[in-house]
Amino acid sequence: MTTVDYKKLKKAEKEASKHSAARNQISKGTNLFFNIVLIIGCVLTLFPLWIIIVSSITSEVALTTYGYRLWPLEFSVNAYTYLFRDGSVILTAYKNTLIATLAGTLLSVVTVGLYAYALSRPDFKYKKFFTFFSFFTMLFGGGMVSYYNMCRSVLGLKDTVWALFLPMSFSAYWVIIMRTFYQSSVPEAIIESARIDGSGEWRTLLQIVCPLAIPGFATVALFSAIGIWNDFRNCLLLNDKAQFYNLQYTIYQTMNNLRFLKENASRMGGVNVANLPAETFRMAMAVVTVGPIIMAYPFFQRYFVKGLTVGAVKG
Amino acid sequence: MSMDEMTKPIKRKRGSVSETKRQWAYLLMVIPGTLFLIAFAYLPMPGVILAFKFYQMQVPPDGALLQNTFLYSLFHSNWNGLNNFTYLLKDAPMLIRNTVGYNLLFMVVGVILQVGLAVVINEMRNRKTAKVYHTIMFMPYFVSWIVVMYALYAMISPSGFFNQLITSMGGQTIKFYSQKQYWPWIFLIANIWKYTGQGSIIYLATLTGFDDQLYEAGAIDGATKWQQFRYITLPQLMPVIVMLQILAVGRIFNGDFDMFYSLPNGSGTLRQVTSTIDVYVYDMLKKGNLRNSFGYAGAGAFFQSVVGFFLILITNGIVRRHQPDMALF
Repeated sequence: MTTVDYKKLKKAEKEASKHSAARNQISKGTNLFFNIVLIIGCVLTLFPLWIIIVSSITSEVALTTYGYRLWPLEFSVNAYTYLFRDGSVILTAYKNTLIATLAGTLLSVVTVGLYAYALSRPDFKYKKFFTFFSFFTMLFGGGMVSYYNMCRSVLGLKDTVWALFLPMSFSAYWVIIMRTFYQSSVPEAIIESARIDGSGEWRTLLQIVCPLAIPGFATVALFSAIGIWNDFRNCLLLNDKAQFYNLQYTIYQTMNNLRFLKENASRMGGVNVANLPAETFRMAMAVVTVGPIIMAYPFFQRYFVKGLTVGAVKG
Repeated sequence: MSMDEMTKPIKRKRGSVSETKRQWAYLLMVIPGTLFLIAFAYLPMPGVILAFKFYQMQVPPDGALLQNTFLYSLFHSNWNGLNNFTYLLKDAPMLIRNTVGYNLLFMVVGVILQVGLAVVINEMRNRKTAKVYHTIMFMPYFVSWIVVMYALYAMISPSGFFNQLITSMGGQTIKFYSQKQYWPWIFLIANIWKYTGQGSIIYLATLTGFDDQLYEAGAIDGATKWQQFRYITLPQLMPVIVMLQILAVGRIFNGDFDMFYSLPNGSGTLRQVTSTIDVYVYDMLKKGNLRNSFGYAGAGAFFQSVVGFFLILITNGIVRRHQPDMALF
């Protein structure tokens, strides 16, 4: 009996709030205006990516003759066939980036997950110390010079695949997100009852807490994956040998070479600009670089937004 | 986001076996993270003294306590007083203007657009479409600055889209990569493009958590939508805005290194408007033929770390004095 009444009450409440919300809405005209503004915003957002994609499927001749256009004047997938046929440089970079992203993401979920769990436990004796220990790194850092030297010579990361993910596998910011996530979505009572049932801390964490904290893990994983996949600075600082370059640094180098060649082509006289490394090829490189991470986005989006907001909002 | 807020500790018997065991389990859990923090955050910290050293590479002799060349050189190089800063001084006005100027610009424009976007999306009558808009606008966050550099090249290079547009309308090709006046705008637009959608998420989440009754009461009293925004939404949003700005102030001498370094495409003529302290530090770092280049770079890095640190303390202190609830710590 009571449950039925309760349900009815809730339904009525919902209806009521729906009606009052309807009264307190923006006018249809304003709504239309907002829609138009946001559609323009979306078009502008997609435009730069559109230009890259279009130019990557334009034929090289059309691109050099007519420049970058809104539509491919002559359609061609040559850039991509060339990329995958003779792409040893990009393949190495892809391999490095993939290894770094997978390893780094796994590592960050484990390390952040563990660290944040201990901080989320009210009965951890050194909670305050370790909280401060990680928070302080958000406020103060040693700076690029000393980081550069420490990583290269003291930690020995120079010219290794490790350099592409280790420095980015842990962050105090993620610890805060993850800790807040544990606190808000894992009820203390569950942990207590597991303890009473004789479960040790590790078993409680693995079998009871972990399944509940998956959205939090997904958030940390996505943050970490984006950071490592899109990393440019660490590779620039730490890796000098081409066999250890990641994707971003590789395509950065390629662009630089292209610009250099173009600027000096006239001065060098005999060089024919049309014979220079193809621009469509470069644009195809940019497309393959950005592709996977954008593809991953829709799958992670709901976790991501949830995790971001849970972790960042005070209280 | 205050770090030390804790739920009341549960009273239990101290010193029991399971209690000790539990503390050990917790300690074991924080060890991996602690190692990462030590290696990549704490180990470089003492390196700020580079700013006061005349760094000379010295090979450690056999039997020296420090067998690492960098560490040995760091501690055995002579002190250089404030000379590294004097060296920095000739570029300092330009570097600080660029770094702080761009950061302030991004902060102000960013807050307005991000809060604006969040409010607009929250108010829209067609909820589903609003979500689609937001999803699209979030996307640039996933695109690296290097890919942005490519997109920019495709748009503003001599054969790029905009120049095609300009010439087709009878104009002259603009050489963006050698003309300074366009770059503040390019950086601003690139920054808006990349961060508006992502930055608005946190405001949107805060907005949706507000009590509807406040708005209903407002509406009954005849408040227009704009007045509701001004007197209900904005005051409630303020703590989040302030909190994010305190963190941003602490990083005001840092910049988006990837953006400032990559977008100008290595163009030297743009240096005056594209060099930030980060870029300066990196350039110095790479000047192998310059004696004491590490020291000079260190002076720039010192500026970022130490001044940034005190800035965040001061800002937080001021906020705490006036609005204790809004302070970060």
